[in-house]
Formats: sequence, C-alpha cells, structure tokens
Amino acid sequence: MTDERCGERNLESRTEGRPAGEQGPAHLEVRGLHVHYGSIHALHGVDLAVGRGEIVCVVGVNGAGKSTLMWAVSGVLPVTEGSVLLDGVPLVRSGTGRSYGPPRALPPHEIVNLGISLVPERRRLFSALTVRENLIMGSIRRTDRDGIAADLERCFSLYPVLKERLAQRAGTLSGGEQQMLAVSRALMSRPSVLLLDEPSLGLAPLVADALFDTILKIREEGVTVLLVEQNALQALSVSDRGYVLQTGEIVTSAPSGELIENPLIRKAYLGS
Amino acid sequence: MQTLVTGLSVGGIYSLMAVGYSLIFSILSFSNFAHGAVIMLGAYIGLALATRLHWGLGLVVAGSVVGAGIISVFNERVAYAALRRRRAPSLFLMISAMGCSVFLENTVYATIGSRFFAFPEFFRREVVSLWGSSLSLLDLFAFTVSVGAIFALHLFITKTKTGIAIRAGVNDMTMCSLMGVNTDRLISIVFFLAGAFAGVAGVFLGIKYLVYPTMGWVTNKAYIAAVIGGLGSLPGALAGGLILGVLETLVSTYLSSVLRDVFSFTMLIALLIWLPNGLMGRETEEKI
Repeated sequence: MTDERCGERNLESRTEGRPAGEQGPAHLEVRGLHVHYGSIHALHGVDLAVGRGEIVCVVGVNGAGKSTLMWAVSGVLPVTEGSVLLDGVPLVRSGTGRSYGPPRALPPHEIVNLGISLVPERRRLFSALTVRENLIMGSIRRTDRDGIAADLERCFSLYPVLKERLAQRAGTLSGGEQQMLAVSRALMSRPSVLLLDEPSLGLAPLVADALFDTILKIREEGVTVLLVEQNALQALSVSDRGYVLQTGEIVTSAPSGELIENPLIRKAYLGS
Repeated sequence: MQTLVTGLSVGGIYSLMAVGYSLIFSILSFSNFAHGAVIMLGAYIGLALATRLHWGLGLVVAGSVVGAGIISVFNERVAYAALRRRRAPSLFLMISAMGCSVFLENTVYATIGSRFFAFPEFFRREVVSLWGSSLSLLDLFAFTVSVGAIFALHLFITKTKTGIAIRAGVNDMTMCSLMGVNTDRLISIVFFLAGAFAGVAGVFLGIKYLVYPTMGWVTNKAYIAAVIGGLGSLPGALAGGLILGVLETLVSTYLSSVLRDVFSFTMLIALLIWLPNGLMGRETEEKI
C-alpha cells in the first residue's frame, strides 16, 4: 500500500472522531501486566486501554512481546502480575482465594464467552476441517440458530469467496483466503472485542490492503479492535490510537496520526 | 473363505479396542496403556450384570458401556489431568497409564481374586452359513455390533457439534479452547467414548473367552491394530483391527497358532521402522 493511501485512511479515522479509550471509559483495559516464560520476563507492566468501538494498534519489532500480550489477554498464557478488565470486570483474578500467589486468569473458553476473540498470528485454522466446520467452531457456544445464520451471511458479504469454498478443507486455501476464514471464524462468536495478531503476515500487498479495509468495516459494526502488527504504517493508518511496545514495555502512546508524524517513530518503525 | 470370515470376526473386536486407543492418542498424543484395564473392568461389570442381575445381552452391553465410560473418565481426571495441565511430555502420561493399569489389575486381584469367570450363554450353539463358510452367532453379533458402533462414532464425530469440536481439538487444542470450548470437558467426552468402546469390547472378549484380571493385556493387539491403521486415525483403527484379525487367523491356520503372537509383534516392529504412520495416520514423532 502506498504512503498516500495510508495517509488518506488515517485522515478518515481521525475525522470520524472515535473516542479514545484513555478519555472515555475503557471497554478493554490492561493494567500493569507482567508475563514470564520461565526465567524470561516477556512483558514488564504493560498498560493500555481500548475504548468501545475503537481500533487501537500495538506496534513493535519482532520479539517486542506483541503476541505474548495477545495470548495473555486471551487467557492462554499465565499472567504473573497485573490485570485485564473487560468493561471493568477482571479477567485475571487472584482466584486462589489467597492474598499471595500469582493471579489466575479465567480459562480461555470463558474469556471467549465474555466477548473477546483472537485471530492469532499465522491464523491457526483447523486445517483438517472444512471451511464450514471452521465457521461452526467459531459459533460453537451459540444456540441462536437465526443469529448464527445471519452472521454467516455477514461473513459471506465480507468475503464472498468463502461461500464458494464451504466444503473445502481449510488447509488447502490460499494464504489470503485462510486469513479471511480466520477473521470470519472469530466474528462467528459475535465478539465485542476482536484481537488481531499480525493479520497481514505473509499476505500479498493487495490482499493485505483488502484485509485492513475489512477491519474498518468490522469497527463500523461496533466491534472494538486491538491490532498488533509489525507493519506499523498500515496498522497506524487504520487505527485511532497506537502504542509502541519495546522489549516488553510500552514506551509511548498517542493518536495514530501523531505517531505517524513523529520522526523518531518514523525512523524506528516506519523505515523513513 | 472360512479363515477370512473368522479373521474378520476377531478383527471386529480388535477394531473396537483400537478405536478407543486411537481416540485418546489423537487428542492427547499418548498411548493409554490403561485402556486394557478399562476393558477388563468393563468385562467384570458386564459379568456382574449378567450373573447377579440376570440382565439380557443388550442391557449387559449398555451397562458395561456406561460403567467403563465412567471409569475411563475417572482414570483421566485422576491420572492424566494434572500432568497435561502442566504440559508434561507424553512419556509422563504413558508412564502414568502403565501405573494405572497395574493399580486397577491388582485392585481386582485383591478384591475379586484371580479366578476365571465365564459369562452365561447368551447364544445358542448354532452356526450360520456365510458365503459358504460357517460363523457362530456370537461372532456374527460381535462383528455387526463392532462395525455398527464404529460407524455410529464416525457419524457422531462428523455430524455433531461435539464431534466437530473433538476433531478441531485433535487439530489444535489451544485454538479449540479459544473458540469457547471447555477442553477439560471435551477430553472427558473423548475418554468416555473410549471407555464405552472398551466396555463393548470387554463384554465380547469375556463371552468369547473368559473374564480374568489380566485379560486387558490383549490390548497389545489393539495397539498393533492402531499402528497398522495409523495411530490417531479412526478409519485406520477399523481397518487395522480387521487386517490384524485376518492375518492372525491366516498364521494360526496355515502355520501355527503358537506363532500367531510372534507374527503380530514382529509386524509391529516392522511397521514402526518402515511405516510408522500406518495406513491412514497423521505424521507425528511420538508413537507411544
């Protein structure tokens, strides 16, 4: 995508005037989050907030801790300190009932049921299952048949190609189609917060462009988006605000337009 | 033809046992060597229902299915759940399974004793003619129920939401939980299914032979059948069981019944060396 196109998108997102999570009540909030992999301290007290209906991105180089943050918010990785809150409700609790010991996150399936859905890096589709079965898995906890059917149609309107591939095994789809399926599968759980981890990874530039356009459409439907990307320019161009993560710490945060204009950020993350 | 028919009837029971093995291997990537003990307990449950309560065969099988299913779930909760939550290597799970097997067998020795028991006769001692060969009513019934049960399982895992979740869990358990599936409950369902198949196999083995504490060791054959078909593959377990049954009967008929087990275990070693993924298995490094 050209810089010009990114600039246009960023102008649009700013003129739409979405409320910043830091100004209004946060829909998703991460407070002082610490995560360890054994003796490795991967996240050092990460704080961030995402307002309802916002698109917020976290940019950083490979190994900064972006994916760790996503897995921790999803409840897959254990948190050693700090908390994650959805509309003020803690997802990480001192569930042992003791005043000591590490905090305990809700299990991933309960976090999904509260409305947080993750599209992980490299999609992680159920490759042996068909496209239809992958979409069924997305809605597996739901019982509202009409709602599920309506959401399927919504996914097909976003990505018409999926309707033609329903009986095809997910592992045989192209990279772009797999990403479409991964996003659709996450949307089938009807999340209020969508976590997108490196969605453009391995995609051709045109396909990545289309994907970022879809992210804007998803936000228009009221879904809050937390986006993690190495491709900082594209991520900042679609988001309202951005955080910069460096070796497990948030080093700066600002409206995306400001980050794009910041010469230090441009030099470190935007390659200019 | 007679050898083929006899082999298929034995193979049907091998398939039942191999399906239980493969179900658990597919979702937790370890060989549950306690499966044989669950088969043995299923046989004892069936025996108790038949001799104490004088239930008919259908109810005996149903009771054994439920009883062995519950034992299998209990086995997972006690012996494996803590290990898998700590992400222990599959070798640890396998060692725990061996410990469970010894524990359950010795519990039976200590409480019921080492006596051999026979089921009451459910079938008349008649044979039916099939493609010019004769087959006992029991073998025909066991084969039909075995294939029917495996077909029902196939329908369950392909047509129901729970079945699709099981297949998704086989593919990627972490992502399965991120779809909102309680994976602890899903694993319990898989163990119940494996136990249910163990219950059916236990009753048929008990009727065909006898009921005794070490009868579960016959699941070595289930392991071989599962390896032939490909560990973790359900169609493979069915095919592997039938193939092993036929090959063993051929060896017994044309060479010597003493060589039957020598042949089976030689084939296991050969398969692990030259065809480790079996006929329909997925590629995994762990084969235990």
